[in-house]
Amino acid sequence: MQGNVLDITTENRHLNGVMRPALIICAVMAVIGFGGALFLANTTEHGIEYLLETYLVSFAFFLAISLGGLFFVLLQHCTRAGWSVVVRRVAEAVAANVWVMAALAVPVVYGIHHLYHWADAGAAAHDPLLAAKAGFLNPSFFIIRLVIYFLVWGVMASFLLRTSVAQDASGDPKLTLRMERLSAPGMILFALTINFAAFDILMSLDPHWFSTIFGVYYFSVSIVAFLAVMPKILYALQMRGVLPNAITVEHYHDFGKLLFGFNVFWAYIAFSQYMLIWYANIPEETEWFLKRQTGEWATVSLILIFGHFVLPFLLLVSRVIKRRPLLLAITGGYVAAMCWVDVYWLVIPEFSPGVARFGLLDVLCFLGMNGVFSAALVLRMRRHSVIAEKDPRLEESLAFENA
Amino acid sequence: MSATYTNAHSYLDNTGDDPAVRAKLVVGDNDFHSVTEKVCGVVERPQPKIWWVVFAISSSLTLVLLATIAYLITTGIGVWGLMVPVGWGYAIVNFVFWVGIGHAGTLISAILFLLRQRWRTSINRFAEGMTIIAVVCAGIFPGIHVGRVWVAYWMAPIPNQMSMWPNFRSPLLWDVFAVGTYATVSLLFWYMGMIPDLATLRDRAKTKIRFYAYGILSLGWRSSNRHWHRFEFAYLLLAALATPLVLSVHSVVSFDFAVSIMPGWHTTIFPPYFVAGAIFSGFAMVVTLVIPVRKIYGLEEIITARHLENMAKIMLATSMMVGFAYSTEFFVAWYSGNTYEAFTFMNRAFGPYAWAYWTMVTCNVLVPQFFWFKRFRTKTVLLWIASVLINVGMWFERFVIVVSSLSRDYLPTSWGYYRPSIIDILTFLGSFGLFFTLFLLFIRFLPIVGMAEVKGVMPQAHLDRPGHRGHGDYHGDIGGAEVLS
Amino acid sequence: MSNAAENAKLYGYLASFDLVDEFLAAAAKVRDAGYTRWDAHSPFVIHGLDAAMGVKKTVLPYIVFLAGLTGAAAGILLQWWTNAVDYPFLISGKPLFSLPANIPVAFETTILFAAVSALIGMLALNRLPQLYHPLFTNRSFKRVTDDRFFISIEAEDPLFDATKTRELLESISGRSIEEIEVHP
Repeated sequence: MQGNVLDITTENRHLNGVMRPALIICAVMAVIGFGGALFLANTTEHGIEYLLETYLVSFAFFLAISLGGLFFVLLQHCTRAGWSVVVRRVAEAVAANVWVMAALAVPVVYGIHHLYHWADAGAAAHDPLLAAKAGFLNPSFFIIRLVIYFLVWGVMASFLLRTSVAQDASGDPKLTLRMERLSAPGMILFALTINFAAFDILMSLDPHWFSTIFGVYYFSVSIVAFLAVMPKILYALQMRGVLPNAITVEHYHDFGKLLFGFNVFWAYIAFSQYMLIWYANIPEETEWFLKRQTGEWATVSLILIFGHFVLPFLLLVSRVIKRRPLLLAITGGYVAAMCWVDVYWLVIPEFSPGVARFGLLDVLCFLGMNGVFSAALVLRMRRHSVIAEKDPRLEESLAFENA
Repeated sequence: MSATYTNAHSYLDNTGDDPAVRAKLVVGDNDFHSVTEKVCGVVERPQPKIWWVVFAISSSLTLVLLATIAYLITTGIGVWGLMVPVGWGYAIVNFVFWVGIGHAGTLISAILFLLRQRWRTSINRFAEGMTIIAVVCAGIFPGIHVGRVWVAYWMAPIPNQMSMWPNFRSPLLWDVFAVGTYATVSLLFWYMGMIPDLATLRDRAKTKIRFYAYGILSLGWRSSNRHWHRFEFAYLLLAALATPLVLSVHSVVSFDFAVSIMPGWHTTIFPPYFVAGAIFSGFAMVVTLVIPVRKIYGLEEIITARHLENMAKIMLATSMMVGFAYSTEFFVAWYSGNTYEAFTFMNRAFGPYAWAYWTMVTCNVLVPQFFWFKRFRTKTVLLWIASVLINVGMWFERFVIVVSSLSRDYLPTSWGYYRPSIIDILTFLGSFGLFFTLFLLFIRFLPIVGMAEVKGVMPQAHLDRPGHRGHGDYHGDIGGAEVLS
Repeated sequence: MSNAAENAKLYGYLASFDLVDEFLAAAAKVRDAGYTRWDAHSPFVIHGLDAAMGVKKTVLPYIVFLAGLTGAAAGILLQWWTNAVDYPFLISGKPLFSLPANIPVAFETTILFAAVSALIGMLALNRLPQLYHPLFTNRSFKRVTDDRFFISIEAEDPLFDATKTRELLESISGRSIEEIEVHP
């Protein structure tokens, strides 16, 4: 390479104090969000139940973002990607946030008897299907599985982040090789865990219903959600003077392209699931979609088709938005919101057939979790450089140009 | 050249893992001209003896195919082993098998292009050629399976004297459109990419026939950059269109099964699972063909060890996806609480077709596990054997899906055991004859490596200059002096 | 022979290059000299050459996008007309016109129309096929599809001047310049 590659030591690579206002905002969001939600829940009828339900939505949404980050980092190592090195540290931090999600899983476990019909021992006694599944769907095994999932994700994410940070000091290319070698089997662990986690956390809300593609569906949600929030995170960092020149419009452009591609992938998976169940029209499967096509949920379904697929498709198909960081960050935020609606659509109809009762409680709960998640992300990133400083492919990434 | 290198293998091995170094995609002392010489040489030099031997065998097999088809048409579908309840036998298995193989070409040329995998340039032409030939082989089977082939045109929406239209709510008709579109678009993509290379053959032509034939095929291409600009853009657009198309084709094929209520067929993971399987088998077939071809025609410096290693990795990845789908199906068959579904899967693994099921699992899931080790990814003989086994396994996958479900349907009184007739087997073998015959003709007459694309990723093309990392256009302005610095 | 030579008209000049870098720099110089009817020829796509030549972005994507929309509309209309209007029949309890079942075919026609338009559009914008071109009369130009790079400036260019253009090309290529003639 020649000399006109950016020298990253001239860049601001640490969040020294620049994120303090953001942290305060996050803290305020967390307190107002969760505090307000608890207050509202306590003062309304069925409030605690509603809160648990919407908490599960936001939990599954933020978990998806973390897992999308984990997948992204694993994928970059598996494919020996060069373009993404300058943004990989941020993705590693998002992935490592899965530990925060582990802590945030506690209320879900606490609410297991309300959220999961199968957790009720009495229900299984009258329901031969539930009785048959009791070996798998029972509270203790469910909790054991959750612990296993979070351990697998957490250990992988921590390994990738730590090894990468260790390379900042040593610059040892062997560490890159180590991450590459372990990422391939890591991918398999990831596929298995996210698949079963999707079955457990979301599909078993209706314990009679089943769909083999459901794990892939949740995976598509997670990668889309991650790619949607990344431009916003990067833009927020750059606005505060972090990595102003290292991250270029070319990297945003690539995120835009990946977001476009994976959003189409989401549509493909969603359509495959819908079409096959709609066409075969077997009662035990169709009832799940019927619930989502009845009453107000029909509107939400249409919002997903046009708002989650058609509009982002039209916005991102040309390079106009993809090459403008601010516009891409806004579009990404919008797509992320649609991902949240998607998870909402997966969860709430099970509890509220016919009525899409979206309200202040949902907003507060989302804000609360957003505050916790974002604060944890900032705190994590403060501990080390926000760029993989001595990655052997850093120069390639800095000089990267796109089609 | 061999004088420069004492160890013949050292310079051919570009599979190094050093993260700071990007592997050379063309090894040895090659320049633009030597690439032209090597690739055009395949077409311009007399074919080696082995070409004629294989051609004799494959064209004889093609005659067998024609004979069995003639027998089928003149006699009826009864010459096959079809029975009640297995109404879909070899013909559908072979169709899905060949269509699946036909996915690698467009995957390599489209998806790997969009993902900036520059190593694709050495193998994409080859794989695209294979794709089109495989789709031709695939198209035969549903065509002759309709029985009365003279009314096959009913599948197309052509106004007719009966004022009937085809049924667009049938997945079999979606297949007609999907495979038809795929064949057309693959052909366009293949041909368009070949235009500059056909022009090379035209400019090197020593005989009048060659000059006119390649001259007409290359449409008067004069390598103008104003043309290249639109050519590149058209290529990008075709890649962007072909990518969802590849996914859609095998998804639609999977719909043939999955929209039904047949246990073992009706499962929502079928579309992505079929696509993964198709890519898996397609890459296996590319590896099966490319290993002997690069050896026989001396293309090891262009289709390098790195290319084979990368393909082995893709096979490993897709094998794991297929294995993942097998196990998810198994788990959900139990989890669903649907006794028919659970029975079907137990029957697959332990019933009368258990031998086919375990052949499938061994070839598709266990054999590729060797690719975890670099030693197996870089030994061409082992890689070749594994790729053949994977093709066997992928054929059995379709056999298991089609036959095991049908032979144990909802009505136990009609259960049966399907055996192919000799005509079934000969037709299947004959389709390999057609495949290899067309493939040998492709090698004989057309450039099997995209020279114009390979030259673009060679070091002499100065891709490594900062700002030239991607494959796209340069955004900055170029001043006269700046470029030389 | 002499008769033909008298009738022959100058098409333009042709300069050749061996290295990509020289070629790129030369293209930028010709661009900066203000020529408009000129071209650069290379055996493969050279990144940066579009900028060095000042080539405008093609309209092809818009053509393809419109063709894709046409394909989608055609696919939907075809299925609606044939199955719901002209020859309605009930099958497997599905509505006569049911979008989920019509999406696969509509998708395929979208891709088909778009892809065909991409190839035909590219050829049409490039004015291909054009089997004869004055440049083909030059023997050394045959190497353009192998390993040589060329710049041609047409005599039709408003800035073209038999001596000045020759001098410019000679100064940037360091080689003798060839004349290309049109034989009527």
